[in-house]
Amino acid sequence: MDSIDIGLIVTGFLLVMVVMGVRVALAAAIAGLTGLVWIFWAKRGYDPSHFMWALTVGVKTAGQVPHSKISSQALSLIPTFILIGYLAYYAGLTKALYEAAKRWIGWVPGGLAVSTVFATAGFAAVSGASVATSAVFARVAIPEMLKLGYDKRFAAGVVAAAGTLASLIPPSAILVIYAIIVEQDVGALLLAGFLPGAFSAVIYGGLIVLLAVSFKHFGPPVRGYSWWQRFQSLPGAFPIFFVIAIIILFIYNPLGGDAWGTPTEGGALGAFVVFLMALYRGMRWPQLKDALMETAKLSVMIFTIIWGVLIYVRFLGFADLPGAFSDWLTSLDQSPMLTLVLILMAYAVLGMFVDAIGMLLLTLPVVYPAVMALNGGPDVSAADSAFGVSGVGCAIWFGIVVVKMAELCLITPPIGLNCFVVASVRPEISVQDVFRGAVPFFIADALTIAGLIAFPMIVLYLPGLMLGL
Amino acid sequence: MAGAATILEDDSLLSRLDRLLFRLESLLVLLGGVAVFGLMILAVISVGGRNFANTPLAGYVDWIEQAMPLIAFIGIAYCQREGGHIRMDIFVSMLSGRALWLFEFLSTFLMLVVMLLLIWGSWAHFERSFDFTAPLWSRDSSVDIRLPLWPAKLLVPISFTVMSLRLVLQLWGFGRAFVEGASHPVAVPLVEDAATIAAREAEHVSLEVSGQSAGRS
Repeated sequence: MDSIDIGLIVTGFLLVMVVMGVRVALAAAIAGLTGLVWIFWAKRGYDPSHFMWALTVGVKTAGQVPHSKISSQALSLIPTFILIGYLAYYAGLTKALYEAAKRWIGWVPGGLAVSTVFATAGFAAVSGASVATSAVFARVAIPEMLKLGYDKRFAAGVVAAAGTLASLIPPSAILVIYAIIVEQDVGALLLAGFLPGAFSAVIYGGLIVLLAVSFKHFGPPVRGYSWWQRFQSLPGAFPIFFVIAIIILFIYNPLGGDAWGTPTEGGALGAFVVFLMALYRGMRWPQLKDALMETAKLSVMIFTIIWGVLIYVRFLGFADLPGAFSDWLTSLDQSPMLTLVLILMAYAVLGMFVDAIGMLLLTLPVVYPAVMALNGGPDVSAADSAFGVSGVGCAIWFGIVVVKMAELCLITPPIGLNCFVVASVRPEISVQDVFRGAVPFFIADALTIAGLIAFPMIVLYLPGLMLGL
Repeated sequence: MAGAATILEDDSLLSRLDRLLFRLESLLVLLGGVAVFGLMILAVISVGGRNFANTPLAGYVDWIEQAMPLIAFIGIAYCQREGGHIRMDIFVSMLSGRALWLFEFLSTFLMLVVMLLLIWGSWAHFERSFDFTAPLWSRDSSVDIRLPLWPAKLLVPISFTVMSLRLVLQLWGFGRAFVEGASHPVAVPLVEDAATIAAREAEHVSLEVSGQSAGRS
């Protein structure tokens, strides 16, 4: 039995464990450790007297992964981003942002829904957790929309869908995780998410305006705010703009010259401003303690999957499974683009059953090298590549597309969590209603993903400036 | 995202041990949270020092690398107790009664085995950098300000030991539920459907939004 067979069997074992309900992080660690011991023992011809040796080497190889892989500066962005999210609730940002959006863009057809999209996108940017964002806005925005005569399904769909914008606009924890797994520049990925995130928000807004114009009484505009009232609404929402701006400026300085620092510092400064704002709004030790414990818990959960999967990745390296998978995919007698689309479709299906972070971490170690190979390898130039993007460009571009794809699953049945959250906050709206209301946004997202695939420049423009691509 | 399952309590020995360990776990996870807060303050000092006082903070990156294990590992058992580590429960949520407890027992057992092996492996990793005869008992150190690395490495087997204790308790809990055919066992995270998870998530947020100065119960 060669090492690729061992790789396939252990990967099959991993899938069985995941389906059985073993925690994803530890399932990956179990598979990785088993695989390492197996491969080392196989090298000694399965000699029973060498089993202890194989076990010792396997355990020691796996045992150094958690500490050595986690002690990195880039990974410290994850807890910082999560902390921003938990503090954001206490900083009173949701209502302030919604009010500002309403006063500034409420005048367009379907104004309240469009305002909801932009306010949610803005808040989602700092909160980083789609689910919680949808819960907050279901409380704030839906009653106002219903008062103006919006269809309840549509109002609920807007909130559920807009929550998904969080994953792309900086700060985004999931993009940091992607960057670490595929060993790309964290700053470049964070920067890359900005335009596609804004692009998605604009597509959502455009869709709502279109619906409001086509159907009478669909969503009346909200007029009558003076410029003074508009400017008055800005200070409360200021921390959001500050956090996004500071993170971008600490990665890349558009005015020329060096960036202001590292993404780590930018994230921490953003957190500090939100922390001050929350203090000002009355946050005290009990709330801070709660936010810190929640931050630590969510961080541990993410880091556990990271090191668990990295033990599995260490084994995959010995088994050379990613290489074999790449060779197989590139040898297929079909266009690389079709293969890519099929891979993305597989993610859409998978995402209906597994949490986005778990899904990406489990699959990327095998899928990512294959996608890079399909494009022509890590060092290919844009001109010679299959997808029209250079090697580094492909790494960044695929990350954005696949994260967008994973977020799409938050609004699809059967476990689209955003929809469940909205339904549970508003008892008068059933889950089926929310899923139905989210359908237009699902279509819009599918178009957005198609747009990102057809025009990689939307993704690569900003990181291109930074990396000089 | 990390959920928080319902954990039932009674006055049995198992439940009392569960709550006792939970106190330790809560303390540890809070320590992790304070470390995150510390990272934030450290960055503010670093940026402020560089730009306003012209004295960059020495060893900024070294301190981050020391703090990361505190954040990444020390709360692992707390997260397990709360049912926070993500998993796919679409299959187990279809089971009930003894069949469910059997599967939970099996998967908990697998997790316990791997944790015990990793305590061994991460202890070996720690031992390689620890030496009583060396200065600061350390054979290796960080690049910039030469902090010893062994304390951070030691955190891994320590956290994994607490995690193993937690898994032993859960194994006991699921085992007892299997033997008794219990419908609502104590001291173990119970499987919940998306609607229940969503409802709790929503309630959590509403408390945070409305209870800004009142505190949370």
